[in-house]
Amino acid sequence: MLYNSCVRILKNREDAEDMVHDAFIKGFQKIHQVSDEINIGAWFRRIAINASLDKLRKEKHTFWAEESKEIEAETEEVEFDKVEEISIDFIKECIHQLKEKYRVILLLYLIENYNHREIAELLQLKDSTVRNQYVRGKNQLVAVLNNNKRNELKRTHTAS
Amino acid sequence: MNLKEHIQRHKNEFDDQEMSFKSDAIFKDRLKTALHQPKKSKVVYLRFISVAASIILVFSVVFWMQTSNDDSGIKELLASLTAESAGERLEGVYKLDEEFVKEDSKIINALLNILHEDTNANVKIATIEALLKFPSNEKVRTNLITALEKETVPLVQIKLIKSLSFLRENRAQKPLEKIINSKQSFPIVKNNAALAINQLNQ
Repeated sequence: MLYNSCVRILKNREDAEDMVHDAFIKGFQKIHQVSDEINIGAWFRRIAINASLDKLRKEKHTFWAEESKEIEAETEEVEFDKVEEISIDFIKECIHQLKEKYRVILLLYLIENYNHREIAELLQLKDSTVRNQYVRGKNQLVAVLNNNKRNELKRTHTAS
Repeated sequence: MNLKEHIQRHKNEFDDQEMSFKSDAIFKDRLKTALHQPKKSKVVYLRFISVAASIILVFSVVFWMQTSNDDSGIKELLASLTAESAGERLEGVYKLDEEFVKEDSKIINALLNILHEDTNANVKIATIEALLKFPSNEKVRTNLITALEKETVPLVQIKLIKSLSFLRENRAQKPLEKIINSKQSFPIVKNNAALAINQLNQ
């Protein structure tokens, strides 16, 4: 689970393994700070995700919000029709193609179960910015899904 | 069902990657370097600190003992040099003769004070003897000369003359001539002064 979270963020298996190792080492070094009420698994996952985001920021120079004017503008959410017909693998591929800033927010929100406020804290953004980025990212995902839908359907038919 | 619900319902399917088989070995190595070595170096570091701390402690205790001894000795000596009884002052001067070789301005000042102000000839003579321990001290030399100019007690005069002659203090010639020419000077003092001038001129 921890490893999958890192792979999703970093899109690189070796880097993700490094992050998992780092998370365990850091975690064990600070384990005395953990109180009984804290879910230890979630705590380790948080360390790994934080480290992965840091790596992305440092090495790929990803900035989560650079076009501030664009972000301020409210965006209307678009939905995808007949969502049940598309496979999860196809959705994964399409998320993979998104811009980093949208991809990371979508992953954190949809798969890692972070809420907008938590994502805002992690990426040092405003809540409203995260919400807008999420909507934009999701709309882009819908667009990518629609664009590739025909190919995907063809691929599914050929396979069957 | 919308896209969000669809993804969240099938969230488990996103977790399809597994770590490589090499990962375990790499993690073990990293654990060793990250957790075990620093611990070792931490122990070495702590040992180094404790050794350094004990050395500092020993030195500071020795230094403190020395300084406190010196201080208490000097205080005791100064107290006896300024005591009311002449016997005690004399004892102080003799003690200095035996124990103190180190130059200390407070003690020298106390001795010079005795040289100029003391009423007891024996104490003065012992003080002059003690001051001869600091032959290169300019303050001591000039004060011996001024003491000779002022001194009226014959025994002290003789001690001063002999001391200045011993120190080969040429600046003492004028007071010596003054003593020789003075009608009030004792003959034995005059003789000693003449002898000293001869020695200084040699």
